[in-house]
Amino acid sequence: MSVLAHSQKRIKKAKVWLISIILLIVLAAIAYTFLYLKHDATMTDVGNRLASPTWGHPLGTDHLGRDVLTRLLLGFRLTVGYSLIALAAAVIIGVPFGLMAGLRGGWVDRLFMRIADGFLAFPDTVIAIVLSGLLGPGIGNLLFAIVLVKWVNYARMVRSTVLTEVQKDYVTIARINGLSTFTIMRKHLLPHIIGNVLVLASLDFGKIILLISSLSYIGLGAQPPTPEWGAMLNESRPYFQANPEMMVYPGLAIVAVVLAANVLGDYLRDKFDVKKEVQP
Amino acid sequence: MILAIEDLTVSHGEKKIVDKVSLTIDKGEWFALVGQSGSGKTMLSQAIGQLLGTNLRASGRIMYQGDNVLEYPKEKMNQLRGKAISYIFQDYHGSFTPFLTIQQHMEEYLQTHGVHQKTQRKEMMKEAMESVGLEASFAKRYSFQLSGGQLQRASIALALLLEPDILIADEATTALDSVSAHRILSLLQDLQQKKGCAILFITHDWRHVVRYSDKIAVMKDGKIIETGTKQKLVHQPEHAYTKQLIQAAPTLPMRIREVSKS
Repeated sequence: MSVLAHSQKRIKKAKVWLISIILLIVLAAIAYTFLYLKHDATMTDVGNRLASPTWGHPLGTDHLGRDVLTRLLLGFRLTVGYSLIALAAAVIIGVPFGLMAGLRGGWVDRLFMRIADGFLAFPDTVIAIVLSGLLGPGIGNLLFAIVLVKWVNYARMVRSTVLTEVQKDYVTIARINGLSTFTIMRKHLLPHIIGNVLVLASLDFGKIILLISSLSYIGLGAQPPTPEWGAMLNESRPYFQANPEMMVYPGLAIVAVVLAANVLGDYLRDKFDVKKEVQP
Repeated sequence: MILAIEDLTVSHGEKKIVDKVSLTIDKGEWFALVGQSGSGKTMLSQAIGQLLGTNLRASGRIMYQGDNVLEYPKEKMNQLRGKAISYIFQDYHGSFTPFLTIQQHMEEYLQTHGVHQKTQRKEMMKEAMESVGLEASFAKRYSFQLSGGQLQRASIALALLLEPDILIADEATTALDSVSAHRILSLLQDLQQKKGCAILFITHDWRHVVRYSDKIAVMKDGKIIETGTKQKLVHQPEHAYTKQLIQAAPTLPMRIREVSKS
């Protein structure tokens, strides 16, 4: 056994997915309960700026004297919350479009596919930058741009799943037995699709966090003083040489959450693998 | 006469897949449609239930109870499906939605066709399972937990659940081994005699045709080239292609017949 295969086996044994679930739950629990009202995330205290860690400020303070830990935890709520909102909106818009395009076919399908091709011709980041640049900076516009970029993926995936499933005899038999298109969609096709959507969504989760953070970092997303992680990175840029820890904290937070989300997505993808699903 | 097809043409663009086919199926008869792959048998059967894809166009008339089924709107067609016309397919594994049990399928179809009482549904399902020789407990299983023969029985139970007038069996036994195939077919014959439904039996296997059918139509390149009773076609075939088909079929040894009876 090669070294690589051996280490992969050991990683599988270690149940990294379980660790990442626990990590996400613990982070969420801390973010939503711990230190709930101890500090105000936007309250400045210029006399105590760039302070070292103390009991009152476990991670020190930033360039305006705000408590870093409080901002970091609020940032978790914001970053994760925003990406969940964007994800939900993309799924809610994408799935019905995909179902319609797959089942109806004809001009509905063709029109939809051309729009999708148009979106897919550019990298996600570029479209998001252009859109939020056009609409003006701000977290609302950024989320709108991200949803507009992401829904296409869901619609395309649902469409292709529908197209392969509709060919199968059980759909024909359901039609023969007089079920309406809507019932077939809901009872015989949707359960197939939900698994795939779940996998794609969990893989996208990390990507969307990165997208929000990176666009906030270049000033197109959340604006100061919002404690969004990307915006925090941006704010601490001028103090990088004297106080590098100001950039390390939000950076590490992003890495941890994105990594956990990706590992979880990979696990779900293996778990929902269609080829393994229908074996006697 | 229960179903009359008059000048049915199914075309894909300019190409005619089924070309001006006419045939009549009488009540309770076993009508065999024979032909090689690509002769248009399946297209013909799908046109009856309005199951053709959007790229195919059917013209002509399919008369059922004095109405042209081809002109039925979608909702009226849905009422007819299952209740009047029912199908069994070759691919028995694909005939069931993988994440629903046999019982869930049956429940759904019964509910769609207006059987709202739970006790009545239960009774009908039990009866349907027993009529095809399956234990009632099998209904609680998923399709991948049954063997091929059991699945084909279950799909017959599902197809006959609402006692349709016509059952269309499209290559229903092609994927089974020959002993199981004969068991399934003799089961179908029993059920046909009990319930009196007509069967449109589509196959390319001449042995099955000779054994079970009442009437035979031979199809080639989208056209029906010869049609008539079994006696006539088997003993006095007129068309050269029919003769060829008969000669190409292997003869059936006696002992397999005995096994299939047991």
